[in-house]
Order: sequence, then C-alpha cells, then structure tokens
Amino acid sequence: MPPLLLGITLITFSLTKALPGDPVYSMVGERSNPEIIEKIRRQIGSDKDILSQYAGYLTLLAKGELGRSYFTNRRVAEDLLIKAPQTFRLACMAMAIAVPCGLLLGLAAALSRRRAVDRAISALSICGLSLPVFWSGLILMFVLSLKMKLLPPSGTGGLRYLLLPAMTLSLPALATLARVTRVSVLDIRDMPFIRTARAKGLGDMKIVVVHILRNVLIPVVTVIGLDFGSYLSGAVLTETIFGWDGIGRFAMEGIIKRDYPVIMGCILISTISFVLINMIVDVVYQYLDPRMRRLGNDR
Amino acid sequence: MKSFRPFFYVAVLLAAVVAPACSPGSRSAGYIVYRLNADPTTLDPAYIVDVTGGSIAAKLFNGLVRLDKELHVIPDIAGSWEIRDGGRTYVFHLKKHISFSNGRAVTAADFRYSFERVLSPEGRCPNTWVLDKIAGSDEFRQGSAGHVDGIGVTDPQTLVLRLKEPFAPFLQLLTMTAAYVVPEEEVKRRGPDFSSSPVGTGPFTLQEWRHNTEVVLKRNTAYFGDKAHVKGIRYRIIPEDLTAVTEFELGNIDVISVPAYEYSRYRMSGAWKNLMASLHGLNTYYLGFNCSRPPFDDPEVRRAVARAIDREKILRTFYEGRGRLASGPVPDLLRSWAAPVASPYDPAGARRTIEKKGLSGRVVHFYVNADPEVVDIAEIIQSYLKAAGLRVKIRQLEWSAYKMAVNSGEADIFWLSWWADYPDPENFLFPLFHSSNHGASGNRSRYTNPEVDRLIVEGQKTVDVRERNSLYREAEYRIVNDMPWVFFWHKTDFTVRQPTLKHYLIYPIYSIDKGTEVSF
Repeated sequence: MPPLLLGITLITFSLTKALPGDPVYSMVGERSNPEIIEKIRRQIGSDKDILSQYAGYLTLLAKGELGRSYFTNRRVAEDLLIKAPQTFRLACMAMAIAVPCGLLLGLAAALSRRRAVDRAISALSICGLSLPVFWSGLILMFVLSLKMKLLPPSGTGGLRYLLLPAMTLSLPALATLARVTRVSVLDIRDMPFIRTARAKGLGDMKIVVVHILRNVLIPVVTVIGLDFGSYLSGAVLTETIFGWDGIGRFAMEGIIKRDYPVIMGCILISTISFVLINMIVDVVYQYLDPRMRRLGNDR
Repeated sequence: MKSFRPFFYVAVLLAAVVAPACSPGSRSAGYIVYRLNADPTTLDPAYIVDVTGGSIAAKLFNGLVRLDKELHVIPDIAGSWEIRDGGRTYVFHLKKHISFSNGRAVTAADFRYSFERVLSPEGRCPNTWVLDKIAGSDEFRQGSAGHVDGIGVTDPQTLVLRLKEPFAPFLQLLTMTAAYVVPEEEVKRRGPDFSSSPVGTGPFTLQEWRHNTEVVLKRNTAYFGDKAHVKGIRYRIIPEDLTAVTEFELGNIDVISVPAYEYSRYRMSGAWKNLMASLHGLNTYYLGFNCSRPPFDDPEVRRAVARAIDREKILRTFYEGRGRLASGPVPDLLRSWAAPVASPYDPAGARRTIEKKGLSGRVVHFYVNADPEVVDIAEIIQSYLKAAGLRVKIRQLEWSAYKMAVNSGEADIFWLSWWADYPDPENFLFPLFHSSNHGASGNRSRYTNPEVDRLIVEGQKTVDVRERNSLYREAEYRIVNDMPWVFFWHKTDFTVRQPTLKHYLIYPIYSIDKGTEVSF
C-alpha cells in the first residue's frame, strides 16, 4: 500500500499542478493588488518550485496530516472525517438496492430466456446503463418528491434523505448486475455439473440457489467490488444534485477552486478505499471459490 | 405475538422511510429558510470576498455606518460623525451600551483592533483596499509601524480616522464587511476557527454551521437596533438550481432567486407571478477588450465591434428582458448625470471599418467561463462578429483558469460583469478603468487613458457632490468614447417567495439586509 499511495500522490500532485488556474485568484476576490497575491502565494507555499512543494506535502503526510483548505482554513482530515461516513452510507445504501434487485432481475431474465420478461428486463437494464445520473436523478426527484411528496428532494440526513440519491446511484450498478447475472446464469445452466444435479433428482429451486447462484456470485462480486469502490470515491453528480455532503462534492468543489490540499486528501482517501475494497473482494473470492482456497494453500 | 415482531419492525422502518417530505419536523417554526448555492468560505468579515459569506456576515456583525434601502449612509454603531479638514478627518461618536454577543461592550478600541487586523502585515486579508485610505496604513502593512497612525481612539466612545488625502466615498467603504467590528479576545481565543464560529454585534448569532449542509442563525435578543421578527434564519446549501426550485415548490424554502430558465414559467404562473419581486441590480455586464495589444488597442476597431452587435435584441430575446440596456459602465441607479449615448447597431458600418483596418478574417480569441448562459451569449456574439468579418474562436475555461487567463491578458475579448461593492460611481470607475489597476485589481481590459486617470482620482478627492459628479460624468463619457468594453446591460434580479412570508425585500447590495424586517 505505501508505494501505491506514494505513486498516487506523485501523479495527482503533478496533474493538479499542471492544470491551468491559480487558487489565489479565487481567494482574493475581484479586486486585489499584486502585493496581497504574492503574500498569499508565500503563505500557502505556491511560490516555491514544484519539487519543494511536493516534498512539503510528503512531510505533512509523514506527520499524519493532510493540510488545511486554502479557502476555509479548516483541516482537510477533519472535513474528510465528516464526509467519508456520509459517502460510505450512500454507497452502502446504493449497493443494498442494486445487489438484490440486480440479482433477482438477472435471474428472472435468465430463467425466462427469450420470453417477454427477459426482453423487458434486458431493455430496462440497457436504460439503466445508458441514462445519465443527472437525468435519472432529476426524474426520480420530480416523481417521488415533487409529485408524490414521498421523499425529501435534498439534504444530508437519515434514511429518508438517503433513499433518493441511493436509488439514483444504484441504477447503473443494478443494470450491470442484472446483465452479468443473466449471462452467468445462462452459462452455468448448461454446464455438466448442473445436468448431474438434475439427474440426481434435485429440485429446480435447490439447483438455482445452491449450485447456480453460488457460481454466479463470483463475477457478481467483481462487479460489486468495482462499483462499490468507485462509489466510495464519491458520486460527484449524485451528491451535487441531492445536496449530499459527501466526498464527491467536496472533491468537486476542491477541483473547481484549485484547493490542492482538498483535492489531494480526497484522492488519497479514494485510493485507500478502492484498494481496501479490492482486498476484501479477493478474500471473498477465496470463500466463494474452493479452487482459489486450494491455490492459496498450495502456495 | 412474537411472530408479528419482524412485521412490526418492517412497518416502522417503512413509515420512517416514506413519511411525507414536508413534515413539520423538517422546518423549525419561526425560522425563515433561504437557499445558498455554495457553502460560505468564511464568516470572518475581514476575509469575506463572496456574496454568500457577506450576506450572512451582515446579519452577524455591524460597522460604524451602514446603508439604508435608498442607499444612503446611516448610523450603525456610530450614532453620529463629523467630517473635518476638508474630508481628511472623520470623527465617529459611538452609541453607548452596544455589546458583542459575548456580553462585552463595544468600544472605539475594538474598531482600531478590527481595522488593524485587516491591514495586518502578518495576515493575508484580501480586503486591505477597503481601509488603506487611512493615514499610516502603508507603514503598518509593511511592518515599520506598530499601529496605524491615522486611527485614533480619543475615548471609549470616540474614534478618529485620518485619511492620507480626502476620499469622497470613504463612508460608503465603511459599510463593507471588512470594516465590521470584531472582539479581539474571541478572535485570539478561537484562532483560525473564528471564521466558522464568529462573534459579533448583529441582530443574529450563529446557532449552527453544518458545512455544506446548512447555516443556522438565531435572533440576538440583546441586539441594540430593531430586533428581528423571525426567530432565526436557516440557510440551506443546495448547489443545484433545479433541486432548489423543487424544495421551494414543496414549501421547504421561503424565497429563491429565480433561475434564468425558470423565469418565464414563474412569470406566467398564476400561483407564483404575484409573489415575484424584482430589483434593478447595481451591476454592469460587458464584453471586455484587451486594449494592450492588436487588434483591440485601436479604439476604432473596438467601436466597430460595439456597432456590430445588436445588444438590444439580445437583451429582449435571449435574455428575456431581464435587465436594462447599459449605455456606459456606471449603472443608471448611481448616475446623476445624462447617460452617454450608446453605440447604435450598425452592422454595415462595422464591417466597413473592419475591412478598412485590414482585419477581415482575423481570428479573435474570446474567453468565457463554463456558465452555460455565458456560453450561449458568446455564441450569439460570435455570429454577429462573423457577419462583421471577424473569426471568433470561443475558449471556454472553468472559473479559476478563466480568471487567471483574463487577469494575465491572455484573452483578446472576454465576458464579465462587475457588481457594486458600495453604491458610488467611483466603484465602477477607479478599479475598472484606472491604469494602476491592470489585471487582478479590476482593470482587466488593461485600458489606459491618463486623462481618465486624472478625472477619476480628482473625483475621489472632491467632496463637493456636484463637482464630483461632473468629473465622473466627464470620465464616463471619455471611457464610452474609447470603448474598452461593449456595455451590455444592468441585470435585474428576480426572486419568488412563499405567500406566508411578509415584508420580504430584495436589496441592491447584500449588506443592507440585516434580516430584521421580514416576518411570517
């Protein structure tokens, strides 16, 4: 992990510094003099060469700090401690919607292959994949908040506030899971061990639950891992539309203002989350697939 | 009974999930709810440069003087004042029994501390220009003096400010957030956290600030002026306009600024049109030229571009009449002289000039920010200039990069607006057209005219209003003749409110609104 993080800091630092724009111009407002601009540059260290700036950032990291926002003067780590749990909640809720729904729809489509149900589910999953989040989010808000008055349109809060952004965020993952599940079930259904199970007289339900679903879970877990990892990096559009106070919105504001400590902090947290999720996925693989356990033991 | 327990839990969960969005619990009774599109950067008045922070700070703090609805300077913490030495010295007599919300009485020494804090050599306050007219401010900023020589405290209730030279709009400057008074002990005790937990003298105090979610103010019952009618103000931070409109229509927000694309709908809506309010803003929207290099260093070319664009038509059609046509940089509300004559739309004449100057087919780089409305305007201007013979290439940049490019003189032409910091024509002349302010200081056109410089500076020093207006009039006429900008319009602001809200007004400058008049 440390070499990976070091690499990420180097790439991110270089890219953010290569971006056009200067945070100082946003800090001073519309009317400032060059003397103040230079003074602020000295104070935030942006007057130094890029290597010295990077070394300074690494020194800060070594002390376990992420620096202070150029604009709010608040500690980035403290802000992230507030925002990361919100993003985690949103990601979990989105997955709690996407996984069971995606699995069920995929299973239903596979078991009714080439019939109307299959076609309808396939069409819906293509829609789910194709619709941009800002559009589906606004439609859901229009229907569920404005027209039906069921859910609040925006804000960070309890379950009621969580549902609308989580539903929006879950749509692409739900669609992907439905498609992956369908294809996997169709592949597995024709395999010899399923025929053997049928020949042994096992019922359809037991074949689906014990033999097919367990095998389907391996590609499904891969998709969950990738999506969950990306959700933990923050869902910029969803968080902005629904006013959800998460990492995505925080990172976006940091990028717009060129608030480098905020950008770096968000990317570091996202990287750590992504790596951790992938590690968890690897462990889950071992549990789901006996061959991987054996491979691990042989080593 | 046991077997029903899971169903009971599920029912409770469902009830919590699908409870109506507009339940009374989502609003605190007596609190007015406004929308902000971004979290305020800071609530420390010395450091505020954004309207978002400024509009909240105006309710938490006070200065020596403030503006009334008619834009006149009226007493705030100073009950009266005298102007002496031909406008060089201001003596303020502070009202008695005014306290910060921590209970300590405000004295003249607090103003000295607050002003020196803005000018401090250690600080990085961007608003030093508000107070750098005071004598001794330069020495103090450079660290060669322990105090600002021009700030004198005669007794706890008397503050004397001596200026380097007369500056006619000085009282207007003192209405700005940077001139608000702060308690030294709280600033020192809270350190950098003073920006998110401020203590002031205003009609409200900060109750809670959940960053990126909401800022809640509660009524200051010990406020020295007219007390607020509402119990408090809740500012909800909602970045997306459509979301804010939905919240408003659900009754969760009391007032919103009408987004451009919703303007027609609200204006035609039977339910909302009578609840809309409008206000002629103190602003000027303009197309700026880079006057420091060809081809726009030539006033004739600039005038040709101005004649090539039908501003009136753009304002009437695309902008749906949400503004007044500008005939110069100074907004009509601040101009007490005859408006300069605007350039007539004359595409044939413009084309002839462009051809005569050998500029037909010349590529011009037009810089705009990422605001979709601005991009649309840029495309309209592009088509007009194409008809005049110029090939306009639009370069769209996000705000930070855009400001950097325009400040550094990279753009040939650019789209910007200027909003009043204080209600005086000087605010639309000195920062924008004086040659000492090229770039980030405000004169992004890099316009230079020694005679205009002289007239503006002379106007700053002239206390007599008639004489001063005559100098400003002359300066504005010369600027319009030189045409460093194409003056487009002064935008009108529109808001829409809930029918339950009473005495809600919109103000041309955010600092006027202390939040004490509005009620339910």
